[in-house]
Amino acid sequence: MATAVVARPVARPQPRARDEEVLVWPDLVFIEFIAAMVFTLTLFLLSYLVNAPLLDQANADVTPNPSKAPWYLLNLQELLLHMNAAMAGVIVPTVWLVIMGAFPYFDRDNEGQGQYFATENSVRITIASAIVGFVGTWGLIIWDSGKGAYLVNKWFGISGGSNLAFLESERSIQQQLPWPEWSTHIPYLPFRGVTILGQQFLNLNFPAWLVEQAIPTAVLVGFPCMLIYVLWRKGWVVTRRDVLLALFSGFVAAYGVLTLSGTAFRGQGQELVFPWELKVSEGIPGQE
Amino acid sequence: MAVETPAGPTLADKLYDKLFHNYVWKSIFRTGYPNTPRNQMLVVATNVFLHLHPTRIHRTHVKITHTYCLGGLSFFMFLGLTVTGILLMFYYVPSVERAYLDIQNIQTTVQFGQLMRNMHRWMAHAMVILVFLHMMRVFYTGAYKPPREFNWVVGVILLVLTFLLSFTGYLLPWDQLAFWAITVGTNIAGSAPVLGPKTRFWLLGGFEVGPDSLIRFYTLHVIGLPLLAAIFMAVHFWRIRRDGGLARPL
Repeated sequence: MATAVVARPVARPQPRARDEEVLVWPDLVFIEFIAAMVFTLTLFLLSYLVNAPLLDQANADVTPNPSKAPWYLLNLQELLLHMNAAMAGVIVPTVWLVIMGAFPYFDRDNEGQGQYFATENSVRITIASAIVGFVGTWGLIIWDSGKGAYLVNKWFGISGGSNLAFLESERSIQQQLPWPEWSTHIPYLPFRGVTILGQQFLNLNFPAWLVEQAIPTAVLVGFPCMLIYVLWRKGWVVTRRDVLLALFSGFVAAYGVLTLSGTAFRGQGQELVFPWELKVSEGIPGQE
Repeated sequence: MAVETPAGPTLADKLYDKLFHNYVWKSIFRTGYPNTPRNQMLVVATNVFLHLHPTRIHRTHVKITHTYCLGGLSFFMFLGLTVTGILLMFYYVPSVERAYLDIQNIQTTVQFGQLMRNMHRWMAHAMVILVFLHMMRVFYTGAYKPPREFNWVVGVILLVLTFLLSFTGYLLPWDQLAFWAITVGTNIAGSAPVLGPKTRFWLLGGFEVGPDSLIRFYTLHVIGLPLLAAIFMAVHFWRIRRDGGLARPL
């Protein structure tokens, strides 16, 4: 039986507007040449003035405190302080890269392309999301470092006392609440003892799971959803492009904050400090 | 009655003719000097490097504030890193015994060695920043939209490759900064469920950063990843042309 195959419309390149075109030589080639020269000269000057760092020879027995990844991975190192290592180091970035790669397959409308902020509300969505990403990420970092509770007490004299001590940071939820004994080793019934992909399932440490996986997941999924929901209720987010604008702008702000805090605000023992308090010691492990 | 005789060619005309209309010049460049629209189009179309471009382009796309040249500059950084990287390779041996001393030698005894190393380092940082900014530019101008979906995906892959290129280069000086940054970085990769420990072992050639890690990072840094990046870049640039050049409003 013959099957009718209906071709889906495939986006084609736009027709050219030849009367609006200029010659690549000289109009574009010269701009590129100037940009390349400006960068070459700037980098020459920078290289003349500032030397690339070179510390002592590598020594596996001397661990500097703090030890840091290259700056563009410090956002992940910052995340590591707040959640399960596999989540922070691999799952979150991988999932985000996949989401980002899928952007054009989610937003297939070709309206609003070729111009900055071409769609209605795009500027306000971008600004609002960036502010939420910036303030929200800093807020969470400060709260989870325990400095939030300390500063509130110091500046305003407000203290929750021992009853609210579990709210001081994420980890204190695990440490300060009176978790019953059994909650730290709940058998994975009926899967107990089953090995999946090399991992054997025995007992679940519920407080640890809550703090290291459940709450971070809820925050990472919940906050962006909440942001989009609020902007939708306000009538700003209407199209799929708007959703992506909110997501991407929030991401850029959060990514920037995480990189900055990992680079300039994490001192010895990864404690949250001001940049002028940063010190690095070439310490011997166990004696820091 | 005086007859007006046409002026003969000036000295400059003769010189121009000698320089650009001789047999050797014509054998290299088929077109004349690009001082007429015809030659200007021909020079772009017939030159292997310039023909990455179309011969003509929409006027909005030559405005600096549209692209800020970010994609082109990222590519330019890649080229600059290749050149400075090759120069550094003349002096650098990726063995634990020699790596650190070689870097010290490059800085102190090699002519312009310090400058080359500095250029390589700062260009690498610049490339990471430029690629990220380029991604932001493409996103905010909606340039990932149809028909450029796949090129956005290629761009995301190139972003990851840029990070990896920079990361693998970070170990090579074999100083404390390099050693511990890679220890922390590979520990992050090793924390992945299921494949993490295997990935870390494969990357380091062992359970910790050592001689085998250095040769692996070096090989990936100077040939594996640049080759992969070059392939994806070729696809990226080709697709820009195939998908109708830069995005413009409907």
